[in-house]
Amino acid sequence: MSVIGSSSIRTDSNARIRGEECYAIDYCEPGMLHGAILRSPVAAGSITRLDVAAARRMPGVRAVATASDAPEVLAGWVLLDTPLFARGQVRYAGEPVAAVAADTIEQARAALDAIVLEIAVTPAVVDLRTARSSGSPLVHPDWRTYLSPAGLDFQRDGNIASQLLSVQGDVDGAFAGASLVVADEFESGRQYQGYLEPKSAVGIWRDGRYQVHTGHQYPFNVRDRIAQFLQVSPSSVRVICHAAGGGFGGRLDYGLEPYAVLLSRLAQGRPVKIVNSRTEDIETSGSRDNSLITIRSALDAAGNIVARELLVDLDNGAYTGEMALMPSVSLLIAAGAYRVGAARVTCRLLYTNTPPTGAFRGVSGVAMYTAVERHMDHIASELGEDRRGFRLRHLFRSGDALLNGQVLDDADILRAGFEAMEKTAPWAAVSGRTKPYRGIGIAAAVWITNATPASVTIKLNEDGTVGVLTGASDIGTGAFTMGVTQIVAEVLGIRPEDVRLSQPDTDVASYDIGSQGSRTTRMVGGAAQNAALEVRSRILHTAGQLLQAQPEELELVGGRVRKAGDTGPGIALSDVALANTWGDGPIIGTGRYADKPVAYNPECAKGLVFSTFPTPTYHVHLAEVEVDPVTGNVRVVRYVVVQEVGRMINPAGVVGQIQGGVSQGIGFTLYESLRLEQGQVVEKTLEAYRLPLALDLPDVEIVIMEHPSADGPHGAKGVAEPPIVLVPAVIGNAIADAIGKAINKTPITPEDVLAALREAQA
Amino acid sequence: MIELKLTVNGREERVSIEPAETLLDVLRNRLHLTGTKDGCREGECGACTVLLDGKPIDACIYAAQAANGRRIETIEGLSGEQLGSVQRRIVEASGVQCGYCTPGIVMTLTALLREHPRPDRQLVRAALSGNLCRCTGYTQIVDAALAAAGDEARVES
Repeated sequence: MSVIGSSSIRTDSNARIRGEECYAIDYCEPGMLHGAILRSPVAAGSITRLDVAAARRMPGVRAVATASDAPEVLAGWVLLDTPLFARGQVRYAGEPVAAVAADTIEQARAALDAIVLEIAVTPAVVDLRTARSSGSPLVHPDWRTYLSPAGLDFQRDGNIASQLLSVQGDVDGAFAGASLVVADEFESGRQYQGYLEPKSAVGIWRDGRYQVHTGHQYPFNVRDRIAQFLQVSPSSVRVICHAAGGGFGGRLDYGLEPYAVLLSRLAQGRPVKIVNSRTEDIETSGSRDNSLITIRSALDAAGNIVARELLVDLDNGAYTGEMALMPSVSLLIAAGAYRVGAARVTCRLLYTNTPPTGAFRGVSGVAMYTAVERHMDHIASELGEDRRGFRLRHLFRSGDALLNGQVLDDADILRAGFEAMEKTAPWAAVSGRTKPYRGIGIAAAVWITNATPASVTIKLNEDGTVGVLTGASDIGTGAFTMGVTQIVAEVLGIRPEDVRLSQPDTDVASYDIGSQGSRTTRMVGGAAQNAALEVRSRILHTAGQLLQAQPEELELVGGRVRKAGDTGPGIALSDVALANTWGDGPIIGTGRYADKPVAYNPECAKGLVFSTFPTPTYHVHLAEVEVDPVTGNVRVVRYVVVQEVGRMINPAGVVGQIQGGVSQGIGFTLYESLRLEQGQVVEKTLEAYRLPLALDLPDVEIVIMEHPSADGPHGAKGVAEPPIVLVPAVIGNAIADAIGKAINKTPITPEDVLAALREAQA
Repeated sequence: MIELKLTVNGREERVSIEPAETLLDVLRNRLHLTGTKDGCREGECGACTVLLDGKPIDACIYAAQAANGRRIETIEGLSGEQLGSVQRRIVEASGVQCGYCTPGIVMTLTALLREHPRPDRQLVRAALSGNLCRCTGYTQIVDAALAAAGDEARVES
């Protein structure tokens, strides 16, 4: 019986439900010291005095590190602009200035207090509006000297860390001749990933190498960042992962790991553990970027969109993680799921003196789709046209292309999505309700399956189970403990629980770009399937000899090999494994997987460094909200997702990702406010930064569409990211519908709602 | 140092602690019961939920001294050879993703079902409002709680 399409339980759930799982924060080493980091209290300034002499003499202190203890280099994922410790200048409140390791955490914190740090405050670039103004100070006066490790062309200029410029068709002509021009401005705030396990690391200097224990989405990125910061070869660093209590993009770049390993070296190899306080985590973990988006569309006399112009400004914060890739994504989403004619897209990533931003589920897509889909509602209302009908009129068809020139062969799935939505939530019925302060919203999206290739090694154990070695990790999604596990079990005819996974270790596994972009089930699953096929072929070869049969006559069922159609017991995989172990050698298989490159037009833009949406998936969301006109509170009373997923490997896992993604989107839209004032984070605790509670959230109605892709394991496509990208758009549209007034910002707080109601009544 | 006597998962424990230690510090660092999770240390996330004389509390903001002489249950105490109904149902419903909130949620739901053996959906959601889960959106956990309540009812009848 096939395990593909069955809701098998995740293989680590027993350990997790019993409290036995060892998360990174639980990991300890013998003789371990405790580390703490001194961070800049101000957004911008020159360090005029940094004296650690008193701290070094404090009780229990074993090591103190500052910029002078590390190589004088800049590091970074895609742009080399980041120092390990502030050297001379501080560029954001929260920037590491020094670190201490001591016998106890109390001693380490006391030593931080003994460090003398004096900073001459300089004018800070506190927000996007300042950063893009002509007289703004430069966050990095030396920006011209910065290099990209991959040689990527980011089109940098002063406070612009990365820029995309694209003009296609006669945009100015279309606007000049338009019957109607509709324009909007949108502002979106930052969002903290809010994983429940704070970041931590245990660093060890041992045998001339750096070793670090952490919980991570992308351990090879940690390896490479430590190698850059400390100027050693990547293989001189070993990253060993433990279970991670959530990630959502927040554990894709380095965190505390380089500080822990450097302190260990300075403490003669004593292991050093550093754990973020929740406040440090909120302030410094690379939240979703805030943005300012201006969008306008030209319409002809028939009410067709004939041109689109988009100006997007994204906040990079003081240093660049992977954010420099994001301006490219704006081009891929500028049209949304619709035909828009000629287009001019400008997207800038701007430095500010604020904590660096980073990846969060649906990178760039959340703010972009909010702007595009809220704007669609605005245009429809200007035309006096039904919002759904207006969308259907412009909806992509198979063969239409994104603005990068990438042709969407299967875009008609979008239309099927609207039809599926109509069956679940008929538009006339849900939009015809007359109850005051109730509204609905609808929106559609195209999203990506990150196609970075993968490789996997599988060994057949002597008891007939298999071990899977990979650099990929499961941060909670189940992509590994359900998806990849089931794919391997299916090939080998064994139970999912007989597939043994290990946490990634960069010394052991081959390179993997990590758990991101909804790629693991497809890409790592594809590699695992290929590795399992090699193991299978070796099993059949040996079993054929033992059973005196041709390999092609055999099948693998229930952990045994037998002649196809035979009802006899055949032989156990354990016997095959043992025969090989003492015969030809133990069975091992390796597999790799890469998707075919996606064709696009490289001339479509300047600064295009993230060029396509491989293996696209299609999405339609609908929300119904109720607004309390007295308190301004918004309640989501109904939320429906129609999602195309290729092929469901594990239905319960797919549903869990959609419900969870929508919930994070509802949090971002209504509750999660991460404001900055003069470069300082305002919401510093989980009391102030309000994550959604069980009482805040609806049970999401989920309709799955399966259109298996022609390649990839069982036709699987990405699942986990896209459920978040439309949430602020549909809820924002529903709120505007409910109160008769658009609120073009995210989050939409009760104060915003009350202000809009007052304006609407005035 | 202060001497403390606690009953943890039915076993009497004696520990010497510093005055400012929380119950979470004692459980994790002195008794090595790391199934109780450290999430925020401000009493917001509920990952450290344990039962004190049967009532769910946030161990991270509970002074260890105040637990002297009292009865504490942690996730380890519920995890014998067989999983309890709440645990089994959460696993079956795919209510575990990253799992970091899971022990605290199991403790909260265990206390809920002892007090209200047949809760409705809204009561389960209200009971869970002191436990943050960032992965699941709660639905599968609520489903599991209701299924577990059904199990208990069948056992009684």
